[in-house]
Amino acid sequence: MLQGSFSSIREAFGKTLVKLGEKDNDIVVITADVGDSSRASYFKEKFPDRYFNIGISEQDMVNFGAGLSAVGKKPVVVGFAMFLMRAWEQMRNSIGRMNLNVKVFVTHSGYSDSGDGSSHQALEDIALMRVIPNFKVVIPADAAEVERSMPVVLEEKGPLYYRMGRDYSPPITSSLDYKFEIGKAYVIKEGDDLTLIGAGVVLWDALKAAEELEKMGISTAVVNVPTIKPMDQSTIEYYARKTGRIVTVEEHNVIGGVGSAVAETVVKTYPVPMRFVGATTYGRSARSQRELLDYYGITPKNIINSALELIK
Amino acid sequence: MEKGGRDGIPISIEELNKLKEMADRARRNVIKMQFYDQSIHVGSSLSSIEILTALEMKVIRDSNDPINKDWLILSKGHAAPALYAVLHEKGLIKEEELWKIQDISGLLQGHPETFIPGVDMSTGSLGQGLSFGIGVATGIKISKGTGRVFVIMGDGEQDEGEIWEAMTHAVARNLDNLVAIIEMNGFQLDESTKDVKPKDFLPEVWRAVGWRVFHCDGHDIAGVISTVDEAIKTRKPAVIFADTKRGKGFTPIENTKRQRTVPDVARQFLLNS
Repeated sequence: MLQGSFSSIREAFGKTLVKLGEKDNDIVVITADVGDSSRASYFKEKFPDRYFNIGISEQDMVNFGAGLSAVGKKPVVVGFAMFLMRAWEQMRNSIGRMNLNVKVFVTHSGYSDSGDGSSHQALEDIALMRVIPNFKVVIPADAAEVERSMPVVLEEKGPLYYRMGRDYSPPITSSLDYKFEIGKAYVIKEGDDLTLIGAGVVLWDALKAAEELEKMGISTAVVNVPTIKPMDQSTIEYYARKTGRIVTVEEHNVIGGVGSAVAETVVKTYPVPMRFVGATTYGRSARSQRELLDYYGITPKNIINSALELIK
Repeated sequence: MEKGGRDGIPISIEELNKLKEMADRARRNVIKMQFYDQSIHVGSSLSSIEILTALEMKVIRDSNDPINKDWLILSKGHAAPALYAVLHEKGLIKEEELWKIQDISGLLQGHPETFIPGVDMSTGSLGQGLSFGIGVATGIKISKGTGRVFVIMGDGEQDEGEIWEAMTHAVARNLDNLVAIIEMNGFQLDESTKDVKPKDFLPEVWRAVGWRVFHCDGHDIAGVISTVDEAIKTRKPAVIFADTKRGKGFTPIENTKRQRTVPDVARQFLLNS
């Protein structure tokens, strides 16, 4: 558990994109002037004819991607999470409504763009994207899961929203051996008394919390749900039954995000008491993502406190 | 490819008369559609009848191959009844479907959907068609196809910011297989366009950005066809400003912001005309 070194999630994205571009000539990459920031520009170096920087124009980018997919291309639309949301209606009305094969890859989600302050910190996007029919939503836990999941994601037909941060990527899945499938949850650690469920880089905090809880004699499972939609109902139900208590962890508003999606599943399958650890408001600027996670309470300590509330 | 691809061949009087008859039938069918559903956008539809007839009957080359066919994107999706009436003339939509427009059991939706034969893009939310058209035109080019893309927009629609994003984008990509058509009927939903946001400057802006700009009377079928021919030949992104009248040919609402009348008025009008 917690082996390996910290790496950059956007670096993993840029490099994996190039590898996939070598295998599939239909992949085209479109960005709204954030090729360097997102590392999508690695694709440009290798395949300049299949790379489009269309300027600071997210709405145009989404519909441009929709048009390319309508003639058989496989567009990868790349932008900052927050600014793709100004094209939410385009994603809903063009990509989702026509069920087009467009993959929307965002970086700088959550508090990851720490220095740029509240305007750049996307804490609403999971809620917004999972309500669009036809859209799937995937959140890799770390750089290793980016490498593992991207080939599968680009093979999947239809609209998909893929949410990443920036550089902060603690090792969560790098030492694990599993085949990534869309719609499947993965158990990182087994336990009997309580289950921590989450997605993205904050699973690191969940694993830290689980270690501490074990020391207190509380056997804690940790489950990674990289696919928020469709949710892996059977795995969630299994752990609800097995442990009887769930705490969710996410780098997103606790309203409408990962925790809400898990709760919706739990009330349909096997209702158990739950607690939700996540964001409640916009971020300040800070020198690092970690500082903001600590400042806004997405920490092992708060996860432990939530767990203890359920255990007592 | 089937028909279309005229390459500037002059149109015969007989053929022109046939197209005018088709447009006239389509116009009457749109007016008649409001007997069955009183929420359709009759005024906006009647403004588009001749443009759609000219494009669908004389310009568009149909094919099942997405990169070797011409695309028609009705970005002003509320003119869907006109598109359906013209697609009926083309034999793609059955007459009985026209009367079931917006009925829950019918094929024809309030705004175009791609599951309807002959519809290339689901529209209805204004401002999105040109960007989609640029994506299609670019995809055709990088796949070495021969297809062309026609995007029909309204003048009110030009308020949307995405159109600015798209018009500069098309020029940057130097697309020569894309023709935008902007209908200048002078009205948007609430008021005349000049009372909402200025529109008169639009041709100058499109020209300044780098488009080849054309003008035509949007109700003159021969004029529309020849202007589209010219626009295609420029080998640059081309935009046609087509002067139209909202509610054209349906005097109870012609050249007003009104979208429709009551069925009795429409019935009386059709009987008398």
